[in-house]
Amino acid sequence: MAAITEGGAAIALDGAQKTRRHLTKARIRWVVVALILMFGAVAGRLIQLGLVVQDTTIEGQTRDLITATRPALLDRNGLELAVDIRVPSLFAEPRRIIDVNEAASAIHSVLPDLNEDWLRGRLTGDKGFVWVKRELTPEIEDKIMQLGIPGLDFVTESKRFYPGGNEASHILGAVNIDNQGIAGIEKSMDNDSVALLQSLGLARGNELAPVNLSVDLRVQHVMHDVLTDALTRYQAVAAAGVMMDIHTGEIVGLVSLPDFDPNNPVTALQKDSFNRITAGIYELGSSMKSVTIAGALDSGKVRITDSFDARFGVRFGRFTIDDFHGKHRILTLPEVYKYSSNVGAIHIMQAMGKDTFRAFLTRLGFDKTVPLELPEKRNPVVPAKFSEIVAATAAFGHGLSVSPMHMLRAMAAFANDGYMVTPTLYRRSLEDARKTYEQVVSEKTSQEMRYLMRLNALEGSGSRMNKFALGYRTGGKTGTAEKVVNGRYTTGANFNVFASAFPLDNPRYAMVVIVDSPRAENAQSGTTAGWNAGEATGRIIQRVAPMLGISPDFNPMLDDELVPVELR
Amino acid sequence: MIRTLNIVFVCTSIFALIGVYALKYSVSETAAEKAAIQRQIERQQADLSLLKADWAFLNQPANVAPIVARHVAELNLQNLAQDQFGRFEVLPLRLTAPDALALDSLFESLNSGVDPIQQIISESN
Repeated sequence: MAAITEGGAAIALDGAQKTRRHLTKARIRWVVVALILMFGAVAGRLIQLGLVVQDTTIEGQTRDLITATRPALLDRNGLELAVDIRVPSLFAEPRRIIDVNEAASAIHSVLPDLNEDWLRGRLTGDKGFVWVKRELTPEIEDKIMQLGIPGLDFVTESKRFYPGGNEASHILGAVNIDNQGIAGIEKSMDNDSVALLQSLGLARGNELAPVNLSVDLRVQHVMHDVLTDALTRYQAVAAAGVMMDIHTGEIVGLVSLPDFDPNNPVTALQKDSFNRITAGIYELGSSMKSVTIAGALDSGKVRITDSFDARFGVRFGRFTIDDFHGKHRILTLPEVYKYSSNVGAIHIMQAMGKDTFRAFLTRLGFDKTVPLELPEKRNPVVPAKFSEIVAATAAFGHGLSVSPMHMLRAMAAFANDGYMVTPTLYRRSLEDARKTYEQVVSEKTSQEMRYLMRLNALEGSGSRMNKFALGYRTGGKTGTAEKVVNGRYTTGANFNVFASAFPLDNPRYAMVVIVDSPRAENAQSGTTAGWNAGEATGRIIQRVAPMLGISPDFNPMLDDELVPVELR
Repeated sequence: MIRTLNIVFVCTSIFALIGVYALKYSVSETAAEKAAIQRQIERQQADLSLLKADWAFLNQPANVAPIVARHVAELNLQNLAQDQFGRFEVLPLRLTAPDALALDSLFESLNSGVDPIQQIISESN
């Protein structure tokens, strides 16, 4: 209602009802504002909570990675080679510890080997997580839990345990405290599968399917046992051996001494305990004559009935190469092999031609490392081009260095109808193995090589081996190389090899045994390969053959059937 | 009308409140139970893994071999020699029919009171 008066300003007055309405509107507005603020605060807090990232890492690593498991490793018959055990590890949350001194002395009372001052320093501060001691026993876990100190807790970790200890150390390798492989098959598994599984979170806490290796633990044990014995018997610096199924390429045993204890991974990195089978390259001496002769027979330029003049040494400028067990007469090819004639081997190589010989070495894979799962490998040293003298020395195994694994693969091919297989440490079927076959020599050459190997065991340098392995139709070639010390060949120390295959009437396994710097066992024995590497091979075969389902057979017909038709 | 509706709503709210409250407690109780069982499983798995490792260790040739070596003398253990293997072909074949004549003569001698086997035994003594 407005009252209008003349000549004066208009005065407007609100009625009591209108005034109250305005007041109510204002109050509602304030309430709305208050509510918006309140709910806004709640929403803001919710967003804040949602954005908080929980720190689940343990000293830079995710908690899951610490508890990650690895698959159990079994041998070919299902015996455990490596298993995971769950062990508690003690950690502390320093920011939740109330009395550092009390906590430190309490822990010290249970774990006396921990320094109390170190503990106090460890437990002081505002950190969210520190390890106190890893990989404890359940008993210690109980004792510490009973102390009832706030801020101490346990996490269950997986720890790798190798029940066999040293026995298969070079195959298995080792893992570090974070369960990552640092050597051997453990490392190679990390490289291709387990690390991936762990990073995807599939290997956490729950069990992974166990992995079967190709190794036969019984064979592995026998090889380890015999080679350990050889180390003391011949006072050798080192000894190593490897056995392979020539059809499937499965490695059934691999030992290299001195070795290490995978349960104590620090020892794995010692310089002297490297894997001599895959990571050692050596001049393999006369055992290389198998390669020379196989190449020559396969080239067709040399026949098994040929004879070679070994009456005089071969001269190259100032040097004359002569024979160790010199016969100094004309030798047939089997005699060259049997008497291990350097001169004969050179003539055989020359008949084949040095370039053909070099190409044959390439065909055998002597230019690169052997494709095997183990990460410990070293490139072989074979001159890219052979001069006359280098080819001559290479014919009897000097001037080129390959690993024993190379020799094993070549010997397996010579016994396996000329098919060279890719070795493996995992179980493999024959069909899968056939896909990796490469024919390096003909079937006929393979037959002739089997005859030569057996002949050498019956009449040549392998006879000491055959004394132990009687009835198992074993054959092989010795190799005694003078070691190179400070760039010169020394006559004092030998590097001895025995490369063999058995049973030769139906070959199944190939083996290479090396003995480094052996001494004579007694006054009557020698230091050449037949006396040590050869005898060790015989002892291994004598014990291992029955386990592998090979029964002894003394039928002389079996040996006669190995003789090629031309020589009967 | 609105009054009764309000009373119904208030009552349902109170019941729902009590229900949710009880549910919350039972859930947290179940969660605690689950955690306890999980801890137990973890502990038992750990124990199991230790036992498995123990078994594997005891089964290893590396562990059995020294035990064998210790008892070589008492049990007269020796490595298997090659000539100790036999074959089925070496065994003589079983006779297709019993030797009737030999049996007849055996029965005759038994009837007459002479036991040839007893004779062999007494002769050897």
